[in-house]
Amino acid sequence: MTGTARREDALVEAREVTREYRLKGDLIQAVRGISLEIQAGDFLAIVGPSGSGKSTLLHLLGAVDTPTDGTIYLDGTDVTSMSDPQRARFRLEHVGLVFQRFHLLPMLTATENVELPMAEAGVSRRDRRNRAVELLERVGLANRMRHRPGEISGGQRQRVAVARALANRPSLLLADEPTGELDQATSGEMLELFQSLNEDGTSIAVATHDLTLAAGARKRLTLVDGRIRE
Amino acid sequence: MLILRYSARELLRHPIRSGLAILGVAVACAMLLDMLMLGGGLNSSFESLLTTAGYELRVAPAGTLPFDTGATISGLQDVRDGMQSLEEIDGVAPVLGANLLLEAAGSPRVFVLGVDPADQGIYRLELGGEPGSAAPGETGIVIDRELAGLGLAIGDTMTLRAPGSFADARSRSGRFMVVGVADFLYSSVGERSAAVSIGTLAAITGQADQASLMMVRLTRGANQEYVVGRLRTDFPGLEIASVGQLVERAAQRLSYFRQLAVILGTVSLIVTTLLIGTIMAISINDRYGTIAALRAIGISRRSLVAAFALESLLLSLAAAAIGLALGLLVAGRLESILSDFPGLPAAIRFFVLEPTRVALAATGVITAGVLAALVPATRAMNAPIATTLHREEP
Ligand SMILES: Nc1ncnc2c1ncn2[C@@H]1O[C@H](COP(=O)(O)OP(=O)(O)OP(=O)(O)O)[C@@H](O)[C@H]1O
Ligand SMILES: [Mg+2]
Repeated sequence: MTGTARREDALVEAREVTREYRLKGDLIQAVRGISLEIQAGDFLAIVGPSGSGKSTLLHLLGAVDTPTDGTIYLDGTDVTSMSDPQRARFRLEHVGLVFQRFHLLPMLTATENVELPMAEAGVSRRDRRNRAVELLERVGLANRMRHRPGEISGGQRQRVAVARALANRPSLLLADEPTGELDQATSGEMLELFQSLNEDGTSIAVATHDLTLAAGARKRLTLVDGRIRE
Repeated sequence: MLILRYSARELLRHPIRSGLAILGVAVACAMLLDMLMLGGGLNSSFESLLTTAGYELRVAPAGTLPFDTGATISGLQDVRDGMQSLEEIDGVAPVLGANLLLEAAGSPRVFVLGVDPADQGIYRLELGGEPGSAAPGETGIVIDRELAGLGLAIGDTMTLRAPGSFADARSRSGRFMVVGVADFLYSSVGERSAAVSIGTLAAITGQADQASLMMVRLTRGANQEYVVGRLRTDFPGLEIASVGQLVERAAQRLSYFRQLAVILGTVSLIVTTLLIGTIMAISINDRYGTIAALRAIGISRRSLVAAFALESLLLSLAAAAIGLALGLLVAGRLESILSDFPGLPAAIRFFVLEPTRVALAATGVITAGVLAALVPATRAMNAPIATTLHREEP
């Protein structure tokens, strides 16, 4: 590895990260020279107005997207210099992702949805079934395992998505507006789930507009116009 | 496999859409199968018809195909002796053909073949004996099922006369005793055929020492090309061809059918590609957000493309199964219409069911279907993940 030394204990380290988009000839700077660290065991909320770059930053931290400029280390690995298939494999094993719109497969049961990333990682049928059951119990869906997404509520769907994100024991759980489609009470339950997972040692970063969710995190980071507001 | 379950259920998620696509492709597959059967069927059935009796060469008057015109080979005995003197030639079967009228209500026309009953490849006896087996003082005749259908049976007598020969009716007609019933290999549907010895027929038609056609049987291991060449030199006035050459000539005459088969077969493959391509493009477009999310969580392009390929494979398999059954049904129906085609031997099959052709049709449709899915699938794989998610997540 080249360049300056980096702190060994940081789970995520972003250095001078910039992400630009070119849209119909206009240059959009979604993230402008952000440097940050996430420690193992953190529960970080990324807040800020719409269009401030929260999702973009989250995708960069999760190796879903690559920065135009700057470097990101995740779990001690430079994810910005990886090839496309390498990053896909890295995400599969190191990153858990939760989306606003769940993105579960409608024709698979809750258990099968949770099994999917494990099947991709080559986990045996028996092991992945056991782990899926364990995870669904963990997120409070013991009696919903055989249901398909269309047969359960939005809050329950998001719990299935959280279980899926945790399937391959990622070092970092990333959630983009996880309560965006949920009512207030269900959002509260989602916060409780995140807090409880965090207490068990899961490192979490959430991009959100949800003030209650943000307030429940251990740390907050505010973005304005692609920059961190001190 | 989880991915297999996913693909199968994804098709069941839109049963009407999938069902209609399957039916559409099934129709295309049926057409492809029929065209493949038609393209090769004519050739292979023509060839087997010509070789079925075991005579490899045909000799006809110069410039004609057998029975195309009324022309005959004259000096039959000399020609036959000359040919038989070649050691490669095992037998020469002369055939004289003439249309005679049966003395019965309506004077039905009968195509009478004069043959050497000891050496002939024109009919296969089903009942009774050869023309020479008549009771003493009688002239034997072998009839076909059409004539038997007119009420003629073994032991009955019948009179045949040359058309337009009322003046000297005695010499230009003959009284025959039915001695056998046979299947005439080259007769067409509805045609009445009968066989007598060649001398008998020649006496009625006044064509002594003539033949319309000769069928030549080679000894085992004889070189066809060589014998054809040799006979052409020795008998420059005759048209000599091997069965293979005749099949080729017939194939040229029937090339319209083959071209039609190639064009329509190609059209059905294109239709398959378009149908499955369209249905997969719609289905994949519906899932752009989910696909981006799955890729974000680390599902590889390969796994996703495999899932889509599997979806189109299942679609094509179902379509091929229905399509092949449909194709066979339609081929049977068309065959029964076309077998009445006038002038063609009834034994000619337009559609021949060969396992390789069925396999080819199925493989064609399935390959086209799977390839068609690859276009929208690869397109979805090349969409940038973050941008797609940005568009899908408000
Ligand atoms: N793929 C893209 N192509 C072009 N512009 C983009 C793309 N993704 C984001 N942007 C732009 O970058 C800026 C930041 O977008 P981003 O989605 O990160 O904001 P956000 O903070 O998540 O907003 P919201 O709260 O509405 O989700 C916006 O101006 C957005 O339009
Ligand atoms: Mg966002």
